[in-house]
Amino acid sequence: MPESITLALAAAVLAPMAAALVVGARVLLAGSLPGERFVRTVMGWGLSLSALGAVATLALWRGWLGPAVSGDIEYGSWLRIGSYVIPAVARVDDLAVALSMLGAWLTWLVARFSGTYLHKEPGFTRFFVLLGFFAAGVQLVAYAGALDLFFAGWELIGISSALFIGFFHERDEPMRSSVRAFATYRLCDAGFLMAMVSVHEVLGSTRFTVLGLANTLPVWETTTIAALFFVAAMGKSALLPFSGWLPRAMEGPTPSSALFYGGISVHMGLFLLLRIWPMLDAAPAVELAGVIIGSATAVYAAAVARIHPDAKGALAHATLAQVGLIAAEICLGLTTLAMVHIASHAMLRVFQYLRAPNAIHDAHRLGHAPHPVHAEGVLPSRFEARSYLAALHRLRLEDRLDALVAPVVWLARGLDWLDVRLRQALSTERDAR
Amino acid sequence: MQDGAAVNGPATDPIAAALERAHHVLPDQGPIGVFIHHNTLHAYQHLTFHDGVQAGASLLGARPYPELETFRAWHASGRIADDDVAAAIAEHLGSAAKDPIIPGLSRALLWRTLMLEPVDLSDGAGLRFLAATGEGPARSDAPRWTAALERIGRGPRRMPEPAPLPKRHRDALVAHGAADTDVLVHAELVRLSAGFLDQGQARDAMPGRGRGFLAAVSALYASGARPPRGCEGVVADFAHIAGDDRPALVVIREALDALDVPASAREEYLLAVALSLRGWAGMFGRLERHPDENVGGPPCSLAEYLAVRMVFERRAVAAACARAGLPLAWSNLRASVPASAPRAPELDALLLWGLTRAAGLAVEEVAALTDAALARVWSAVESCDDVTRRALLLEAYERHYRHEVLDALAARRARPTPDFVGRRAAQVVFCIDEREESIRRAIEEQGPEYETFGVAGFFGVAIDYQGLYDPVPAAHCPVVVVPQHEVHEAPVESDARWAQMRRRLRDGWHALERQVGRGSRTLGLGAGLTFVLGPLAAAASAGRVMAPRRSLRLRDRIAQRFAPRPRTKLSALREEWARTHSERGKPIGFALEEMVERVTGVLRSIGMVRDFAPLVVVLGHGSTSLNNPHESAHDCGACGGRRGGANARLFAEIANRADVRTGVAARGIVIPDDTVFVGGLHDTADDTIQLFDLGAIPASHEARFEAVCVVLEQARRESARERARRFDDAPLGLTPEEALAHVEDRASHLAQPRPEYGHCTNASAVVGRRALTRGLHLDRRAFLISYDPSIDEGAAILERILAAVGPVGAGISLEYYFSSVDVETFGCGTKLPHNVTGLIGVMNGHQGDLRTGLPLQMVELHEPMRLLLIVEATPESLLAVAGRQPEVAELVVNRWVQLVSVDPRTGAMQEFRGGGFVPYVPAPRALPEVQRSVEWHGRRRDFVPPAFVRAGLGLDA
Repeated sequence: MPESITLALAAAVLAPMAAALVVGARVLLAGSLPGERFVRTVMGWGLSLSALGAVATLALWRGWLGPAVSGDIEYGSWLRIGSYVIPAVARVDDLAVALSMLGAWLTWLVARFSGTYLHKEPGFTRFFVLLGFFAAGVQLVAYAGALDLFFAGWELIGISSALFIGFFHERDEPMRSSVRAFATYRLCDAGFLMAMVSVHEVLGSTRFTVLGLANTLPVWETTTIAALFFVAAMGKSALLPFSGWLPRAMEGPTPSSALFYGGISVHMGLFLLLRIWPMLDAAPAVELAGVIIGSATAVYAAAVARIHPDAKGALAHATLAQVGLIAAEICLGLTTLAMVHIASHAMLRVFQYLRAPNAIHDAHRLGHAPHPVHAEGVLPSRFEARSYLAALHRLRLEDRLDALVAPVVWLARGLDWLDVRLRQALSTERDAR
Repeated sequence: MQDGAAVNGPATDPIAAALERAHHVLPDQGPIGVFIHHNTLHAYQHLTFHDGVQAGASLLGARPYPELETFRAWHASGRIADDDVAAAIAEHLGSAAKDPIIPGLSRALLWRTLMLEPVDLSDGAGLRFLAATGEGPARSDAPRWTAALERIGRGPRRMPEPAPLPKRHRDALVAHGAADTDVLVHAELVRLSAGFLDQGQARDAMPGRGRGFLAAVSALYASGARPPRGCEGVVADFAHIAGDDRPALVVIREALDALDVPASAREEYLLAVALSLRGWAGMFGRLERHPDENVGGPPCSLAEYLAVRMVFERRAVAAACARAGLPLAWSNLRASVPASAPRAPELDALLLWGLTRAAGLAVEEVAALTDAALARVWSAVESCDDVTRRALLLEAYERHYRHEVLDALAARRARPTPDFVGRRAAQVVFCIDEREESIRRAIEEQGPEYETFGVAGFFGVAIDYQGLYDPVPAAHCPVVVVPQHEVHEAPVESDARWAQMRRRLRDGWHALERQVGRGSRTLGLGAGLTFVLGPLAAAASAGRVMAPRRSLRLRDRIAQRFAPRPRTKLSALREEWARTHSERGKPIGFALEEMVERVTGVLRSIGMVRDFAPLVVVLGHGSTSLNNPHESAHDCGACGGRRGGANARLFAEIANRADVRTGVAARGIVIPDDTVFVGGLHDTADDTIQLFDLGAIPASHEARFEAVCVVLEQARRESARERARRFDDAPLGLTPEEALAHVEDRASHLAQPRPEYGHCTNASAVVGRRALTRGLHLDRRAFLISYDPSIDEGAAILERILAAVGPVGAGISLEYYFSSVDVETFGCGTKLPHNVTGLIGVMNGHQGDLRTGLPLQMVELHEPMRLLLIVEATPESLLAVAGRQPEVAELVVNRWVQLVSVDPRTGAMQEFRGGGFVPYVPAPRALPEVQRSVEWHGRRRDFVPPAFVRAGLGLDA
């Protein structure tokens, strides 16, 4: 039933986007913020329809409603420049359906939670519009049949993530953290873009189906491309050394932290690795590096999670530990295990994040737990201190990255200075005339 | 309180002096698990309210009063009337009110204009833009605007506001546009402080913290840590400190030396440093002064915190100054700060425009104003600065409510009501809490045979109470009292075996829950658990989010079905109990004589000395909610931020004893043999009422008890309905059943930041007989304290009441005042990004200051006013009490509460102001009259003025 699948996929991807656009249009046209009930209703419809689309896709793919549908579903071309075609193609397979279901369910749940949690919050409308874009991004990533579409969804997730971190924009710290996350995403997304162009160059198309031909390419090509993809995944999933932004992402409201950094967004890098698996599999060096980076991240994050005295920071690092572990699983070739791990992990963390403010209530209920000194009796006392501080300072990852990019910042400052001077000179000249 | 000066040398040392002041002005809030309401600016209580508020707010950079725009909105909505403003100005100016400033403009009119009209702005650029686009003054009265601009051009002009002086290096750096060093210093300090103060939230504790903050941090860094970027040099510094165990004060002095801060500036400098991350600094100070609140935590010292801070700060500002090419020496850096920009002429012109408009001056007259006249205007404006305007508007705001309530009380007194004859069916004793006003009214509306009382909710039994499953006993009494007795809850003999088994089950389950919770956050175990817990979490989150009330009930029902709570008893009487003293050396339970004394004391205090009903229900209160770090702030203040159910239960048990009654009778209060006391707990979040020890009710009382239960059932529904009208996500016009379901839903919802609105309606307190207020709809705004002046010789009872109610009521009222006036500085801002830290508090996001005070969601409806304390006692009795109770006297004389005396015999009212009592003549006011409360408030969201409720007065429809 090709028409049904077309419709189902369109609903899954477009409904939340359409709902966000309706709310946005209402704001622009009326010049004022709509009531909470309007926002809740419209977004509720959008997200429910999206979830329905996801369920329908599952049913069609499993063949519950007739002959099973899978593989590429064509929607024509998105853009055509000369011989370069960006195909609008969806892909229905086990990975796509799994992520789509997971994303639709968790987004719906968090939206429902937030309708109550954000009541009377001045940013109520903004929150739900962003949630709509995020939901559309997740579905797009799930069903994208080519890298270009995937990248569009990837960017929707990235931008909404940065804006959620900076949700309380009247304070400085959220803005600093938001910019840092955004900058990390941009840096790593450069890897994605280069990889995408390279894939098109060497395989003639950006469809995921052509990645199956990766093992016919020379190893240096697959290694370069897979490495570039891996850099993109490292940014989105906060793998070492790009882990610094993740704890900072706790600046947003609790439910968005739950959905993004416990649930979906932080697992997106891993999903990318699963999606380009044939390419990764054809680059053993990258796989090896992936296992090392993933395990290192896991150990690092687990150590930080042990000493974090704040609820959300500890959860962020506990999440990251599993994310690192899953990255290693994928690079070891355990892709099915990885997808199951992602799904159950996301569901667990969302729940834990949503309950994070209950920490004191729980401590009273459960009674005080033993609180041993860090690494006492495990490490010599000198290393005890060093290990504690290293975890407390999170290896000074941010400082190190800052030092690394400092020359670029200086260059930018210099250009800015030059720009200001030039403009001033030009405008005085014009005024003089 | 430990005196900083005594420990750290003579107070002439500027560092010791700064520490001592810091101890006073830093937030004085303990770990958040037990929330005690207190006056946020308690350190300023020795000053008058206005002086104290202004001094405290200016030191903290906070708002002392609501903003002028807020007051103007209240004026526009009628919440402040014109005569309130006029009265406030007249009282403040006295005879100077009539001074003519310029023709047509008296000083009083000038003040009124400045207070109510937006003519004195500070945004010159914005105004210039408005004027240039023909908006604002240029639109509403253009010729006058041109004239005013022209006249201003010829001078004289107003002086510009002086720019705030930098208080420390960081301020000067920021003023110069350099990087804010606090970003990196605070990041470092927040992590270290949170790790050090953690009471058990992290899995691992900070190594070496038992030796104190300075020693622990220096040992950590000395082990070879990497310093934060832009803070190089701290590792060597800490290595030196660790090397010779340098004391904190020396470290601070060395840092100040390095920054070249002259001795004369040190005190202010260090105080500013302490106040720049005041939540954390305050917690160090608080735990230093109250080590008992630091469960299992390390020894805390504010000096050590400041020492660590100064080590970082010194290196950070030195590096920043070097980068920015600024001098490091404090005097030079301070002098280099650019001066403030001159005042935009448009601002002066707008002021002149507005004032001459108010004066009715013609446009030509504006142009013709002499220099002397203009100078007079400016000087008159200077004397009515922004803070003074807001202070007077606050007075006007309070006056409006005060008169409304006092007039209503006068009307109540004048209203003839039928006397009740016969015996009451039941009497219900509540806490004085203003949240109980609605349920008391709802009970009384069901018939004149029901009577209610209010007494501080620990019911005279100050105890360390250990419930069946509490790990340690906790004080259930006002914070100023140290309990001398312990009371334990233990299973009754017949349930002892089951209780033991259930305890083992429960402990096992909790251990499992804790292990699983922690394990899921580890690497290896976490990986395994994830696969099991993920699907379970999905089901749990679906249930908890989509059906919060039902899912919680289902869980409770299953628990109650398979593992019911054993029946228990309290260790009330000492002789009956096996152990007479606990490990902590306190007697367990009360001796007979002590019980008699407690019961007599409470009954006398509330005036319940005769006419006992067959059933007396005693209800403590508490509040249950989820995902709410501020849960304890909703519990009973009179029980020290805990629940009052145990106290009510204990009181009822004691009062039911025949031997106690004999003793009480010997002291002149005869409780009839057929009177039965029943203890219980009212949950103010979901409005459930739980009654204890129903086995003690004799068969003869069963029918009566059934009837009372019906009354309480009805009352809690009405109370839920009255509360629901304030939640604007509950539709208006709910039925009582729907309202009850709604509030139950709130209390069980993980996503609910407002499970209840807490004390946010508090505004007044009435100490006196219920006859003063019965039948009046007071909109949950009044603490109601039962007190019968006719049995109080020598005001001894009144003294006890005021000594407790004064500070507790003022503490709640002032905490709400400050948190609502400036929710970001005095309060803790919005709850949404809060992050529970170290089990001691919340911070914003991932690393921020520890937030103290109340969150926005608790205070958003509050009307910030000083507590209106109305006492049914003569001024002479009140003055006598004030003479014996210095804390009450301080609150009243310094006007942190507004005191009004109501003469018990004549009903004449006198307000305390200007150092003495001044008669208040109530305005005759015809109060609206409704049959039932719901008819008055049912269709409205906002505060409602007082009204008569006929059913409460004992009148028929």
